Amino acid sequence: MSIAIALNKVVKTYTGAKQPAVQGLSLQVNEGEIYGLLGPNGAGKSTSVMMICGLTPYSSGEINVLGFDAKNKSATIRSLIGVAPQEIALFPTLTAAENLTYFGNMYGLRGKKLRETIAHYVEAFGLTSKLNEQVASFSGGMKRRLNLIAALLHEPKLLIIDEPTAGVDIHSRNLIIDILKGLNHKGMTILYSSHLMEEAEKLCTRFGIIDEGKLIAEGTREELLQQNTNCKDIEELFLHLTGKSMRD
Amino acid sequence: MKILATIRKELLLLLRDMGGLAMIFLMPLILVTVMALVQDAPFRDYQDLKFQVLYVNNDKDSLGEVFEHSLREAKNLELVTNVNGLSITKEQASELVHSGKYKAAIILPQNASKTLNKKVKHSVAQLMANFGFGDEVKDTVDNREIAIELVFDPVTKVNFKLAISNAIEKIAANAQSKLIIENLKTQMAALGSEQKKQVIDFSNSLVVKETEQPSTAIATTNSVQHNVPAWTMFAMFLILFPLAGNFIKEREEGSMLRLRLISGSSFPVIAGKYLFYFMICLLQFALMMAIGIYLLPKLGLARLSLGTNYEGVVLTAMAVGIAATAYGLLVAVFFKTHHQALAFGSVSVVLLAALGGVWVPTYVMPPTLQAISHFSPMSWGLEACNDLFLRNANTAAILPNILRLVCFGGVLLILSFVIYKSRETKG
Repeated sequence: MSIAIALNKVVKTYTGAKQPAVQGLSLQVNEGEIYGLLGPNGAGKSTSVMMICGLTPYSSGEINVLGFDAKNKSATIRSLIGVAPQEIALFPTLTAAENLTYFGNMYGLRGKKLRETIAHYVEAFGLTSKLNEQVASFSGGMKRRLNLIAALLHEPKLLIIDEPTAGVDIHSRNLIIDILKGLNHKGMTILYSSHLMEEAEKLCTRFGIIDEGKLIAEGTREELLQQNTNCKDIEELFLHLTGKSMRD
Repeated sequence: MKILATIRKELLLLLRDMGGLAMIFLMPLILVTVMALVQDAPFRDYQDLKFQVLYVNNDKDSLGEVFEHSLREAKNLELVTNVNGLSITKEQASELVHSGKYKAAIILPQNASKTLNKKVKHSVAQLMANFGFGDEVKDTVDNREIAIELVFDPVTKVNFKLAISNAIEKIAANAQSKLIIENLKTQMAALGSEQKKQVIDFSNSLVVKETEQPSTAIATTNSVQHNVPAWTMFAMFLILFPLAGNFIKEREEGSMLRLRLISGSSFPVIAGKYLFYFMICLLQFALMMAIGIYLLPKLGLARLSLGTNYEGVVLTAMAVGIAATAYGLLVAVFFKTHHQALAFGSVSVVLLAALGGVWVPTYVMPPTLQAISHFSPMSWGLEACNDLFLRNANTAAILPNILRLVCFGGVLLILSFVIYKSRETKG
């Protein structure tokens, strides 16, 4: 099995920070799996994702994405991956079509191919009737779905999603999860970052739990629960490993 | 293609932002119209305006008539000799002026003509006697001055006071000269001199001819010629508000992050934004010039003259556009929040405008400020416009200011990219 993402002893210390945000993190995401990167607030999830995308330089260690070194080939990596950030990274006063056309153009897509891709995804995500409406008028769920479509336009090999269902209703959530599973069945590797353990358990094939910038557990659901027999699901395991104290 | 896509996106965003549109086009339009109207009177500097001036002729003789005739010929004075159908006394005139109803009063004393005639006659006779014509003059003459009184409203500007005083002194000097010549002729005629047959006229010997404009000049400075280019510079620099506002908003809302996640997107995104707002600057320039040419004359103001060097006008617009957009971009990338960018932006643009001669022309500033004004890009743009519009300068003459603007824009643009890239790398 090929490796989609490999982090080897990665350290990231922000300028002026006393503690490193990521301390010797090593993890591996295999091609074709949905990897759940879980961790409490401040665990280093966002920093890790940003380093994988090549947006944040790392202090030491190695990161390899789809066979390319993240330090030297970040532009190549970014053209192969799709990222749906937690923020609704869209232009509210543009329509859904205008947003998708613009992001498609920025990926180098245009003409019929782009129109067909947009039509395919808006149909799949149930947004066809809203295509010519301004995003500002959309519900939270509709914005989330559109946010995800914008990351899929160039048909990436690897999809990185951060809290893709935050603030959406159960219908939108189920639709998003179904579509993500469908994309994974077609061969797309997905790195999923979330606080929602139940959703992660439904979606992910393997998990990596990080805390204080370190990987504290990694494996499939079954492997992790076998190692911690007193936990009956991922949420209990997560609380058991990271503790129940509040994180800021 | 990515740059064009960004330009199209920026256009759509602007078209749906009524506040931004108003800030870019409506506000400068109102600003230039109001400022041109408000500053019209001070710019005319009492040359084209008519002021009502009271004239109290207590002389009621030839000198009084000469004064009245001459003052009526002055194009910026409207002589008022009676109020409510009644002639005015000296006291009434003073009261009316001090109450602010009239700007000034000119009061000619009683017997001014007779006294002046006597003085002149005596002086001429004495002069002729000194040259050996006629008998020695033994009688004396009253040496007291014939005082023409000028009363001014306390709020009257010094320039206006000087203009009136100079006009009165000129009329008095002329009247006196004429009287001397007349007396000389009369007294010589009485002596049987042949000189009486000759016409003595000095009136055209020494005249003042105004040649302030070189032959290439095409317009004189006025409220429109100053305010339209000046507020155009200001409006173009206001581009920083929508530019920085949108930029920071996109950064805060996350769409900038998505664009950063797209391979090699920094350059087309920044370049697209820059080019779009640069084109908006050119549009603003064209709109403001059109206001000066078509709208302001309809409001009773002068028509804006662009000179004849249209190539120079386009170059100037482009150079100011380059500088203004680069300034906006630097503010956008440097400041992290809306509040910081807008606070700095508004203060700095007003300062650059004040120093650049937008509010008042630089030539009326104190020498220190005049020296500082040379560092304001608005002053470079304004100077180039004045050279083109008022002096009909060729392109070579405006090139130093064009280069200053382009270099200023270039340096800020490089600085913006460096800051943007360094923040991008830091993550």
